[in-house]
Amino acid sequence: MIANGATPAGLGKLRIAVVDDNAAMRGIVRSVLGAFGVIHVHEASDAETALHMLRGEKIDILICDWKMKPMDGLTLVRTLRDPEESPCPLLPIIMLTAYAEPSKVKEARDAGVTEFLVKPFAADGLYRRLQMIVNRPRPFVRTKAFFGPDRRRLASGYQGPERRDDAAPLS
Amino acid sequence: MTQRERPIEIITPPNMLKAKVGGPLPAANEAMMARAEAAVGDLRQNFKAWLEEEVGKLEAAMRTARAQGLEGETGEALFTCAHDLRGLGSTYEFPIITRIAASLSKLIETPQQRAAAPVALVDAHVGAIRAAILQNIRDDTDPIGKALAEELETRVTKLVGERG
Repeated sequence: MIANGATPAGLGKLRIAVVDDNAAMRGIVRSVLGAFGVIHVHEASDAETALHMLRGEKIDILICDWKMKPMDGLTLVRTLRDPEESPCPLLPIIMLTAYAEPSKVKEARDAGVTEFLVKPFAADGLYRRLQMIVNRPRPFVRTKAFFGPDRRRLASGYQGPERRDDAAPLS
Repeated sequence: MTQRERPIEIITPPNMLKAKVGGPLPAANEAMMARAEAAVGDLRQNFKAWLEEEVGKLEAAMRTARAQGLEGETGEALFTCAHDLRGLGSTYEFPIITRIAASLSKLIETPQQRAAAPVALVDAHVGAIRAAILQNIRDDTDPIGKALAEELETRVTKLVGERG
């Protein structure tokens, strides 16, 4: 837990881009990120603008809608995961969408999204995705047919040596 | 992994984000979540107008669909409006609209489904969404709202089946 309800100071260093064709939804996501302490929030209203932004700016995490025109979010993800074309093939991507069906989650995962979050979303859901991305990043997998985060989520919660920092002494 | 996906290369990039934020992100706390809720609450004064705008788009798309049918761009535009409302209804404090819009989205998601969808049933969803606003029925604790949502969902499931 964070002491006294403070926000994690480090989040203020991250640059997060939000791509959604609905301005109100972009504003809501920005507000929630602001409450987490995120200062640098970049917005784009379509996938082409997002691609242009990502070619020019160092973005740490992308939050992306699916249903957009003319290029949809899934195509944007596939473009970003193309090592030949992408300015940032390893970029963590949260797909934030009203699609909730398991088939859609699988489709997004197979395109290379890192995390999936269903609209309407709760603030803690978004924070948990940020935690997963920062604390437990997935390795990337390259096969003939796929490049993206490992689609198998490891069951182990082991997070490395820092987990022992607050462990109770054995004796 | 299937045989055809081999060879497999595993790449483990250094965790630059954890280094950038100065260590692992801690668990959330109630105060931070309350701040997030309050931040969204600050936008509440806009919700009515934003919802009205989205429902207005849906109704306009429905008017076009009544005149031209659900094929092509007309049907796609209507689905887009329904899909957007599915994601926004609860945020704008009308979970019943998210539920009804989800049912409508399920009914008209693909061109094949739109070709088979009865326009009257599509229209009933749009009318139910407008009725929810007019009568301030926000969620399915309202018996009329619940019954209406269930009836629409039952009819849609009969037509398109359970979809996963």
